[in-house]
Amino acid sequence: MAEAATLEGTSRRLAGARLRRASGVVLGWGAFVGLWAFTSSVILTEFTLPGPLKVWDAIWVIVTAGSWADDFLISISKTFMGFAIAVLIGTPIGYLMGRAGYWKAFFHDGVVGAGSVPGIVYAMMALVIFGIGYLGPVLAVGLISMPFIALNVAEGLEGVDTDLLKMSKAFGRSERQSLRHILIPSILPFAFAGVRLSFAIAWKVEALTEVFGSSNGVGFQIRFAFQGFSIPRVLAWTLMFIALLLLIERALAVLERWLFRWRTWEQEE
Amino acid sequence: MSVATRLNRPPFKRSPVGRALTSQWGARLTSYVVFIIGWQLLAMLVERVPGPWETLDFIWREVSGGDLGGVRRGQFLEHFGATVPRFAIGLTTSFVVGTVVGIAIGSVSFVRALLSDVLLVFLALPAIIWAFLTVMWYGLGWEAPVYTVILSATPFVAVNVAQGVRAVSPELHRMSDAFGVPRNRRLRSLMLPAVTGYLFTGLRFAVIIGWNAVLLAEWFGATDGVGWRARLWYDAARYRGFIGWAIIFIVFIFLLDGLVLSPIQKRAFRWRKSASDEVDLEHGLADMEAIAKTPFL
Repeated sequence: MAEAATLEGTSRRLAGARLRRASGVVLGWGAFVGLWAFTSSVILTEFTLPGPLKVWDAIWVIVTAGSWADDFLISISKTFMGFAIAVLIGTPIGYLMGRAGYWKAFFHDGVVGAGSVPGIVYAMMALVIFGIGYLGPVLAVGLISMPFIALNVAEGLEGVDTDLLKMSKAFGRSERQSLRHILIPSILPFAFAGVRLSFAIAWKVEALTEVFGSSNGVGFQIRFAFQGFSIPRVLAWTLMFIALLLLIERALAVLERWLFRWRTWEQEE
Repeated sequence: MSVATRLNRPPFKRSPVGRALTSQWGARLTSYVVFIIGWQLLAMLVERVPGPWETLDFIWREVSGGDLGGVRRGQFLEHFGATVPRFAIGLTTSFVVGTVVGIAIGSVSFVRALLSDVLLVFLALPAIIWAFLTVMWYGLGWEAPVYTVILSATPFVAVNVAQGVRAVSPELHRMSDAFGVPRNRRLRSLMLPAVTGYLFTGLRFAVIIGWNAVLLAEWFGATDGVGWRARLWYDAARYRGFIGWAIIFIVFIFLLDGLVLSPIQKRAFRWRKSASDEVDLEHGLADMEAIAKTPFL
């Protein structure tokens, strides 16, 4: 009886905490939109910072015009092409870094350096090498996400069960077999995590490269709106861009959990 | 007999040259040589890409002065003199504001609920958008770069500091409660040591993101500064100048890291373990890992 009462009390307290959290989230969004509306109408002008309603109108116009999906699809395809290149180059680098001290020292400066280069430099390099076109953003994405994938793979290799490797050697398994059945399965989740973690960075650099030199994609649309001095359209494209970014990131997280569900025992926390 | 000779042979020794080549420094040096050779090959393959010597020659002329192609040179320091104060003001402001916001988010659960979604949106906003907006608001001048740095770097500092505050073990908090540890001592001996590492990660972030932001804002909305100078060469389709400035941007961030950030960090962590060369190598990688693990760069 007393137990039931405390249980009920706990659940009520939990429900209270959840309610407080939910009200905080709603309040946070409300405050954000309210502050935005206040800034645009009182501090600045509707022209320099359009209010939420105006931006909503612009989003509506873009969505009903219909061709927005093409721009997003093109940007997404460029991003994932870049990822493919980054995985192809970054995985071997990470493999070498994780297995030998020499290669760790060899790639150290390159990887740390590549990770701290400002995005604008990648956009510039991509432009110089490929000019305006499809390959520029692909290269930029590849360059910026490669170090993150390499690092993750190196970290994954350090966590490989060395006892398993020793055992497979003792039982006469070939190098290829241990690569196929021990090393690659332990590396892949880390490579995927590298892709997911660098997605937000890559997506931004992709858009930036499109702003500098492209004839299609979300970045191009943002640039186009800016040149037409249409701030509502700049913000509309940006907000759609952010919404998609958050959505794809979530989707990748779900995909990751599904693909690597066999190793859930490692992700207890 | 054969076994005896094998035993009598001196143990295998690498020549000093071989040892130098396979040492940590040898490996790093080799990587630079390979990089330069790769660059040279790329320059030979793609006509637009300037080679390393050409670029170095450009940088030297840009720094030392003189005339080339009708453009006055030797304004290198002037442009850095314009950019660095903007960068410094923006960085300091975002570090201070981000720390305050981060502490509030990390320690008060209501503030966390209030701000975490909004913070996510701000983290996902590309710096270019802030550059466009601030240029529209303030026109060409020093304001757009400064505000772009503040608006794009602050969320990253806040996220890192908030993570640090949340990483302080709740048991230690409860113990401090039980033993009646005063507030300021708790701040000094419990919170500060725990948060310092996160503060530095936040600072590193702010530096990388802020530098990108100041360059972008100057590219689109300034009449001087290094970002504007790079754009000048881009508009003139002089790729040598363009790539030359990209190299200067990278060197600047490396120098800042090596000469300012790392020494401060080493001093702040001198109570941990003695920093050897090996640890230093690990340290850079650990920083990158922290960067990779922060949600939404």
